[in-house]
This record gives sequence, structure tokens and C-alpha cells, in this order.
Amino acid sequence: MNSFSWIEPTDVASAIAAGAQQGALFKAGGVDVTDLMKEHVAQPTALVNLRRVAELDFLREENGTLAIGPLVTLARLADDQRVAKVATALAQAARAAATPQIRNLATLGGNLAQRPRCPYFRSELFHCRRKGGTECFAIQGENQDHAVFDNDRCAIVHPSGTATALVALRASLKLRGPRGERTLPIEQFFVRPEQDVTRENVLQPGELIVEIRVPTGRRSEYVKLMQKQSFDWPLADAAVSFDLDSGAVRDPRVVLGAAAPVPWRAAAAEKALAGAKLNDASARAVARLATQGATPLDKNKHKVPALQAAVLRSLRAAGGLA
Amino acid sequence: MSDDKVKITRRGFVKGTGVLTGAAALLSVDARAAQGQARKLGPGAVEIELQVNGERRRLAVEPRTTLATALRDDLGLTGTKIGCDRGACGACTVMLGNEPVPSCTVFALDAVGHPVTTIEGLARGEQLAPIQAAFVAQDALQCGFCTPGMVMSCHALLQRNAHPSEEEVRQAVSGNLCRCGTYPKVFEAALAAASGKVALSPLPSGSGGSGAGTAQPPQPEGHRANESPAKETTTADTTSTAHPNTAEGEHRPLAVGVLGGPVHREDRKVPESEPRAWDADTRLSVVGHATPRLDGPEKVTGQARYCYDVQLPGMLHAAVVRSPHPHARIRAVDVSAAEKMPGVKATYVVERVLGPAELRLKPKAPGKYPIVRYEGQPVAAVAATTRARAEDAARRVSVDYEVLPHVSDIEAAQRPDAPLVFEGPVEQPSTAGGGGAAKGLPQKGNVRGPNVQTLPKDGDVDNALAASPVRVDERFSTEVQTHSAMETHGAVADWKPDGLTVYESTQGIYTVLEELATLFELPKTKVRVFCEFTGGGFGAKFGAGNHGVIAAHLSRKAKVPVRLFLDRRAEHLAVGNRPSSLQRLRIGATKDGKLTALRLDAFGSAGCAAGAGCSGPVKNIYPAKVVHIEESDVFLHAGPAAAFRAPGHPQGAFGLEQAIDSLAHELGMDPLELRDRNDPHPARREERRIGAQKIGWAEARKMKPGAHPGPVKRGVGFAQGVWYNFDGAPSAAEVLIHDDGSVECRSGVADIGGGIRTAVAQVVAEVLGIRSSEVLVRIGDTAFPQGPASGGSMTTQMLTPAVRVAAERARDELFRLAPGEQELRAAARKLKRTVRGTGERARDYGGWKEDRYATTIGGAQFAEVEVDTETGLIHVVRVVAVHDCGRPVNRLALESQINGGIIQGISFALFERRALDQPTGRMVNADLERYRIAGSKDVPKIESVIIENYVGRTNTDVSGIGEPATVPTAAAIANAVFHATGKRVRHTPMTPGVVLAALGGLV
Repeated sequence: MNSFSWIEPTDVASAIAAGAQQGALFKAGGVDVTDLMKEHVAQPTALVNLRRVAELDFLREENGTLAIGPLVTLARLADDQRVAKVATALAQAARAAATPQIRNLATLGGNLAQRPRCPYFRSELFHCRRKGGTECFAIQGENQDHAVFDNDRCAIVHPSGTATALVALRASLKLRGPRGERTLPIEQFFVRPEQDVTRENVLQPGELIVEIRVPTGRRSEYVKLMQKQSFDWPLADAAVSFDLDSGAVRDPRVVLGAAAPVPWRAAAAEKALAGAKLNDASARAVARLATQGATPLDKNKHKVPALQAAVLRSLRAAGGLA
Repeated sequence: MSDDKVKITRRGFVKGTGVLTGAAALLSVDARAAQGQARKLGPGAVEIELQVNGERRRLAVEPRTTLATALRDDLGLTGTKIGCDRGACGACTVMLGNEPVPSCTVFALDAVGHPVTTIEGLARGEQLAPIQAAFVAQDALQCGFCTPGMVMSCHALLQRNAHPSEEEVRQAVSGNLCRCGTYPKVFEAALAAASGKVALSPLPSGSGGSGAGTAQPPQPEGHRANESPAKETTTADTTSTAHPNTAEGEHRPLAVGVLGGPVHREDRKVPESEPRAWDADTRLSVVGHATPRLDGPEKVTGQARYCYDVQLPGMLHAAVVRSPHPHARIRAVDVSAAEKMPGVKATYVVERVLGPAELRLKPKAPGKYPIVRYEGQPVAAVAATTRARAEDAARRVSVDYEVLPHVSDIEAAQRPDAPLVFEGPVEQPSTAGGGGAAKGLPQKGNVRGPNVQTLPKDGDVDNALAASPVRVDERFSTEVQTHSAMETHGAVADWKPDGLTVYESTQGIYTVLEELATLFELPKTKVRVFCEFTGGGFGAKFGAGNHGVIAAHLSRKAKVPVRLFLDRRAEHLAVGNRPSSLQRLRIGATKDGKLTALRLDAFGSAGCAAGAGCSGPVKNIYPAKVVHIEESDVFLHAGPAAAFRAPGHPQGAFGLEQAIDSLAHELGMDPLELRDRNDPHPARREERRIGAQKIGWAEARKMKPGAHPGPVKRGVGFAQGVWYNFDGAPSAAEVLIHDDGSVECRSGVADIGGGIRTAVAQVVAEVLGIRSSEVLVRIGDTAFPQGPASGGSMTTQMLTPAVRVAAERARDELFRLAPGEQELRAAARKLKRTVRGTGERARDYGGWKEDRYATTIGGAQFAEVEVDTETGLIHVVRVVAVHDCGRPVNRLALESQINGGIIQGISFALFERRALDQPTGRMVNADLERYRIAGSKDVPKIESVIIENYVGRTNTDVSGIGEPATVPTAAAIANAVFHATGKRVRHTPMTPGVVLAALGGLV
């Protein structure tokens, strides 16, 4: 890890000012940042420590919305009874992430803004397209864990399970930076490779997630399948959410994780689910549709059935079919 | 700022007397006062105050210093380990406030203002914390390197949940990896601590295994055989000086056989100096019983000092420059910029690389630098005042590589146009711990071999196969697995004018000594090697290794001690692995299931080393009429293999035991019945019988393979293995009875987690009639008599006979010199001087000879699995393991090793694969995250049974368990998958992609 200076802001305004400086990098829990720095993939001249900015650490429910500060840890989200009740998929995703120790450090903001786990991206020995190079090494390489959608330029998968859940839950993000504050639906936070292959989200220099807003009360479920049952990144994960109106599904979302460079809304599945009565047959049909259009790589064909299984199981659980 | 200044400052802080000079600012919670303003600290050293274990500690750290490094290097709290440095293994777990966190992933600056509790802070007063005492009592530790982190995670759980379920314990330690596979006992320990039934246990009183934790009543004096009154009552048969170990020998009848079955007597020719053998008829009061490890208290408190933890005055830290290319010629190495970096005291450019195979004919014009044949090959090294500075400087070493074409795939390497790993024929040098390969084999391109073996020598396997009424012909393959011990390889070398002292994480301190003495042309008297605790080895830690040699060179140059430990990435790349295998098995049988022919054709790759054979099981389990083996090494531009827990066997059993299962299916015969008809080993037969009952084989196997409706299909499978009773390694010990009656045993052996300290203490206690906790066992120092290297599952079988002789001689000498005394302590006090007995293990007794099919070490395992046919995920639900290991010494440690073998076997079966990127030849999962190792929630319910099989070859008649326990697991799982699905999975790891392809669900 290179040497750097440590900036210790006490409020959001001074954090933003420090974070906007050339060479500065924000750090919250520090889980992803320390990893990137140890691999020399990130070499900031200054680290702006957000951990002591108290105003970013809150969790409250207001008028049908759960308002979450970006410093709330995954452990707190996983354990909070209220979150489990009103935003089930988010609590489940937090609980399924990483290790117990890491969940005590990792923050929701950091989890959403973390960089991909692609081993080529994470190694300084591979100057890949996402780091400004001209090649995606994964497309011809060890791509067992890589994307099965939108994978022709850069085959990363978005690493955040909470992102999968939050897209399903129709969350929005409040961002604040040197040029002011903006609020976006969370889908618009993530950047696809065709838009800009070097970034995963729209955050500008000095810009921070200052609040995650989650509408409450929808049925939701998150399912993560892993090769190893103790600490693993997903083989496939999926989150669904919907309302039930006299037994018929309304406003469904079906979102795939570990499937694409961004949390991947399965459009055909959502369309088929809308208005349907949820039963085992319809759930299976929706699950099959969820991977429509997938373009798996040489070594990750197994992810397609895994994603279907994750969708099927999340639908069953959310619909009380299990 | 100069380096020295920082150091002085830091030392001052630690002592609490220093004046704060040179550092930027003191960061404390008070620093938050200035609202609306961001404070800037660093990049140089920052003075901080941490609250650690209830004490305020002031220190100076760079902002980039992690909490783990600050605790270890600045505060000397080395109980906190660093296993992966990426938050994935949990060895560095500490409490930050009330929460467990991976301290390698927290900056020291982040910990300011939050109380930190480390493993050193858990004990209360003079007593172990209940969770620590429970870990000791349940044997929830083996090598112990992961133990502090494991204890912290359990402690954290119990703080917030006083009565957890086993599921909650599994969850709480799911971020802690244990390569020894201690998890089941960790679950037991946490539940025991929660139950409040753990007895109070004092803190360790000193180092080296003097510890507490046993709960045995005082034992009656001496061993008691239940027969042969002529020999049992006196100790006269083992007097020390009258009968040297070289005596011609006398005939003695020894009871041999499997306990519970018929035991008979066989004649053995035994040196007269040998005590009366503990044979199948002997009942002992300490040996054979469950004994909590004597060094448990050290391990659970963080006091156990691994070589990783050695900190000497003035010690420098080294970083190694490693080749990023798998094949290259080095044109030039320039260390001048590195030498100018702050804190750098020495550099070294590597002249010779240990590990790979070596050319038979030395090249006529060898280059100045070794050819690079694997990614991660060491090229140069730097020693500096801190690890971070050494790493900074290592990045400034400039290496000019001529990158050469490489080959990283075992199929591609066999093509005629493949880039050559070696330009000519090679031989594989071996170390004392194993390795090596058959000499003088033919070599063409990258293929060395075949090594052809036929039993009997004139057998014609092809004719025998052709004549067989029933045949199977099957192919299997296994991937490269890395050892991944939690303590990486490394050493602290201290070169002084009067000799070289090395603290090396090793399985064999004497093998390290020999290698260093040879390479540096030093007399053996000028080299001393220490290793008090080894954080796992699994076969990869025998010689000094490149790291040991580099550390010694750097220390010689810098004239101060140098610490060189590998990071996790280098550990995967450069210090050994289990070779891959491609196997074709052809078996012929009669219609009633008698094997007529058994043929194995195998290729395997040990990277740029030789020794990838996997024919052990084929050669040693089923005596077919003709057995024929042809196996070859395929060289790749990849890290050299090393001995790895039963070299060749898990992969060989994966092939053979599935092929036998296939044959049974072909014959329409129960797989156990087929083995009963062909396997003459009496212990294995008994093991199959016991295991079948426990797992409910007859009932489960009523289901035809694949008949389960699914989608999650259940099945039960069986496999067995073989291992050997080795003879011949040097093995000596001495026992001292001091004038106060205290007892000490010394031997230059290393404990890699098997628990040899405790086994030694049990033997001494048995002989002297004291408690094992009353024996101080000192190991890991080459000043002690030469013990065996800890490999080949032979540590206990090699050392206990020597210890027994030493103890008997010391006791006899004591009572000879203090006549009339009946009691050990009284005699010792009366004598007023220390009495010493030395002992060596006699060679295997005459008249005993290993029969490859009948007297070897067995082992039978049954696995029950669930196969999710929608995803290809395999869940191992339950394993029943029945093993033999001669005389059991410590049943607790035995269970631990069996658990560990099974868990490592599950990990091999389902997860582990060194992933090489073909275009670049680089490993892309050299970590503990994408390189998957079984964790707490991947562990099935394990039931183990130990049967006692006596063969009568030493005075303790112990054999081994470490390796046998891991051999059959993967095959048993694969056979269970076949039973569940009706499809055979022929490749490890059995990942979802592999399983779905086998099930026909993937195109």
C-alpha cells in the first residue's frame, strides 16, 4: 500500500470539499478501499475518512419510507427487526454478504459504491479495459464468476447484493457533491459498460451518497446461491418484490445479481409476472424468462440455471409458496 | 524524517516515557472538536493513542498502518495473526468496541477512540476465560494459528447471545477459516462455554507446553500389562547403560491383530535394549485416553509464539520481488533505486531457486540469473525497517525480463510444439520430508515418463483385461490444490559471526538445518533452528526454502536479524501444491467380482517439478491378478508441487474408488460386497462393517442409483484408502528428572498441529506414573536430540518409542541411584541431581514386514450428500469415518485430525482449484476468497470411529492418522453423488458447472 495522508472531516460539507481534491478517495468502512490499496489498484494521495461523520449514520422510518444513512453497517441492517419487516430483501441481502466481521465494518454506502471483484480488475498485473486498458481479460480467461448479460466489453458483475435488493425495492439515492444535491432512482446510479467502462456508478469527484430511501411495505425476498456456504460471493443472487392485489401480482420487480455489470432487471420476467396469479407453474415460467437473452461465456454457463433457481426460490418465498 | 527517529519515538511511546518528536499530530477522540474542518494527518508517522485491553497505549503509525500491524509490530501483541491480509480468513479478528472485526482491514487510525480487545485481553485475572478453557477442553485447536481469531468470534457471539444454537455458532465463525479443519470442535467448545459447564483453568505458566487443562487423576506408577507376569513388575529389562540399542536382539512374542477380533501372537526379533512392547494385550492408563492438549492454553491466549511472531531486537522486515511472468530470461536486475529508499538496509539478488526439477546436465553457459519457470519465482529481495518500507523498496527494484512463451495447460503442454519448460532431461531433488520422483525416466518435450510398474513383474495386463468377462474403462481428473496453511511460509534469520540462527515455520527443524548448512557451507554446529509452533504445513514445509535462504543472505548482509514471511499470494504461487491428475482406469473382473486386471494410465502436473504420481491406491488396496501402472509427469510453467497430505492418494482414490464403484454397479453388486471379495486387509473389512451400520448403508442403498425424485437428490457413497507404516527416520528424545521431581522431555521435533507435545507427555507420564500435565515437553530446537520430521503421518509413531525408552532409562537410573525409594519425587529429591535418560527409536522389529495389501494403514469413509439438480450444488450432509492407526495415543487429537482430514477432503472435492489464466499463465485466485477453502457452514455432521489394529513393530505400536483421514473423502462424496443422481462426476472440484454438465443439464 502506498503512503497517503489521512483527512478526518467531521461533517458532510468538509468531507465533500476534501473528497473533491485531486487524488483523494473516500473511505467509510474501508473494506473495499484497503483491498484495492493493498493490490495497488487504488493509489490515493489522500484518504477521506467518513467514519466519524456522524450525520451520515442514521436509520429511520418516515411516511412509508425507510431512510438509511450510508454509514449504517451491513450488520445493523441484517439485525434490525424493522428493516427485516418493511424491506425484507434488503435485510436478507445484508445478512448474506461477506463475513460477520466484515459486516461489522462494511457500510451500505460503501457496499453500493464498491468496485468489482473481477480478479483481472483487482490485479495490477492486468491493465484491463476498466482500468483504462484496451482489453477485457475475463472474456477469454477465467470467467466462471463473470457476467452472463451485457458482457461483451467488460464482463464484471456488480458485486453488491444489497444493490440487487434495493433495485427490486425501488429505492432511490440522495447524492451530494460540490455541485449540490440530487436524488435518483437507484437503477440510474449504476453505469453500464457501454456508457463508461471505467466506472460502475455516476458519483462525481467529491460526490457522496448521503441517504438511501426505500419505500416500505412491499413483499420482497432476496436469495443468494453460493458455492461455499460460509463467506462466498454469489454464484447467483436474485431479489423480487411486488404487491398482491386480490391474489394478482402488481408492479413486480425481478432483479438478478452476479449476472451483469449492473444489477440486472429481468424485463421479460417482470412483464410475465405482472398481473399473474403466483403459483408454482407461473413462478417456474417467470424464472425461465428471467435469463432470456443471456449470453454466457465459455466457463459460466452454469450461472444461467443458477439464476433461474434464485428467481424461482425468491418468488416462492415472497409468494408464500415454499 | 529519518527512519531512526520514528523508531525511537515509537519505542518511547511503548515504554510510556518518550518525548513526542518527529511525528505529525496526536489523534484522539478530542480531535473531533473542530467542527466544519477536516484535519489532515500524515502521510508520515502520526502519533495516536489506542485503548487496548483496557490500557492506553501511545504509538506512532503511518496512516497506512492497519490495526493488525500496529498491534503486532508496534505493540508486540502477536496473538492477533494475519492469515490473508484481506479480511477473508478472520485470523486477525479483534473486538473493536463490542464488535468483532478483521483488524487487517481496519486502519489503526480508525481504532482511535474505540476500545480494542485482542486475544491477550480475554483472560480474567489468573484464569482463562470460559471460552478459552472450553477450546482447550474440547480440543478446538490444532495448529492453533487460526485459534485466536476463532476464539474472538466465539467470544463476540457469547457476549450478545449467551445460549446460541450450533447453527448460530457456525454462523458466528463463518468468517474464520481453519485449514486444519477444527470447526466441529469449535462448535462444541462454544456450546460448552455457553452451558457454563467448563471448569476454570489457569493461564499458562510459561512457554513450551507446560500448560494446564488436563483433568486426569494421578495415575498409578508404570505401565501395566494385563498378562506376562514375568516381565511386568520390574523395570530391569530396560536399564540404561547395560544394553545399547545395537544389540543383536531376542525373540519375543507380541500380540497383534484388530482389537475386538481375534488377536494372535507373532514372533518378533527385538533389540534387548528395548522395553517390553506395548502390544495388543497391553492396557494403559494415560496413553490411549482423551487428553486436552498441553499447549492449548498458550494457543488460546495468543501466547504461543509461532515463528511468524518472533520479534528480535533490531530485526528488519524483508519483501521479495517475484516474477510476474511464468517464463522469462532475466537480463538484468537493478537494486540501486531500492537501496536508496528510506529504511532499506540490505538487498539480495537470487542466485539459485530451490523447488523445481533440475537439469541432469548443467547448462554449459548458465546465465547470471536463474531462468524464470513460474509466476511468483523469487528474483530479488529487500530488507528494511518495516514491512511497508520493504514493500515500497521492492517495487523500486527494476528487473529486465525477456518474456518467453509459456504453457499452463496440461493438454497443451503435451503437444509437440508446446514451449518447453526444461530444455533437457531433469531429475527432482527430494527433501527429507518427501518430494522427489523416480530417477532416470525418459523425457520427451514436457512429458517425463512413463514410469511403468507391473505386479507381478511378468504380468500381462492387456491380456488379462481382454480375458476378463466384466470390464470398466473410466477417466477421471483432478485439479491442482494448494496447501494454504494459515501461517504462510517464512523465517527469521539471525546471522552472526559465530553462527546462523533461524526461526523457521517448518515441519522439520533438522531438515532446515541440513539444507542451510549445505547451501552456506557451514558446519552443522554453526546452524541452529527453532520452531516452537508451526501454523500448519500439510507437507509443504520441510526444507529452508527460498525464503529461508534469502532471509539468511539478507541477515548476513545487514548484520541484524531479518524476518521474511510470504504474503498469501506468494504462498499460493511459490511454495508447493498438490499436483493435478488425468487418470484412465481399466478394471477387469470375473462375474462374481474377483479382480483379474487393474490398469492405471496417468498424467499429472507438478508444475515445473516432477512427482505427480497418483498410483498409491491402485498399487496397495486390491490385489488383482495383474496390476499395471504407467504414469508420467507433464511440466508446466507453474509453481513447483510439494508433498501434500498423502501425496498422490486423494486424487488416486478419487479415480480408483469411483472405478470400483462403477464395477460394482456393472456387476449389480453391493459396492461393499465387491470390496469384501477383493480387499484382504483385516482392519478395512472391520471398518466397512462398522461404518455401514452407523450410516445405515443397507437401508439407504435399497434405493437404486438415480432413483431419488429430486430436485434435491440424496445419496450415500463409500470409499476407502491406504497409507503406510514407514520405518527408518532418525528419532531421538531425552527425559530429564530434575532434583525437585519435575520432569522434562526434549526432542527436536516440530508440532504442525497433530499434538505431538501432548502425545510425548502421555508416554512419559505412563512410564513414570505421573500426570501428563506434569511433564514439560520442549520441542522445536535443534539443540535437542534429533526428532523425526513431521510428515508421512509418522511423527507420533517415530517419536513415542524413543520417548518411551528415554523415560524408562531415566526412571531406572533414578531408582538405581536412589535405592530404597519407591516414589519418583522422593527419589529425585533424595538424589539432589538431574537424571537423564536418552532414547532412540529402534528400527521396526525383525519379523515384521509391511504387506502392501494387509498390514498398511486403512481407513473407510461413508458420505451422505444432497445434490441440488437445479443448480449443481452439492451439500455433504454427513460423513462416517472409521480409521485405524495402530495404538491410539490421544483420542481427542485423533478425532481432531480425522475431522481435519475429512474437511480438507471435502474442500478438495468441492471447491479447490488453482485457476491459471491461460494467455498469461498467471494465477487469478491467489487469495482465500476466490481460492475457496471449506468454512464452518460447509462442514457436515462427522462421526468418527477408531479401531485398534496392532502389528507389533515398535515398543508403542503406534502408526499414523494425519494423511489416511483425507484420502477417501472426495471419492466417497463422488460415489454418493452417483447414488443420488445415477450420474458420475469425474472431475474435482465438483463445482456447479462440472456437476450440471455431468447431469446432462448444460450444453
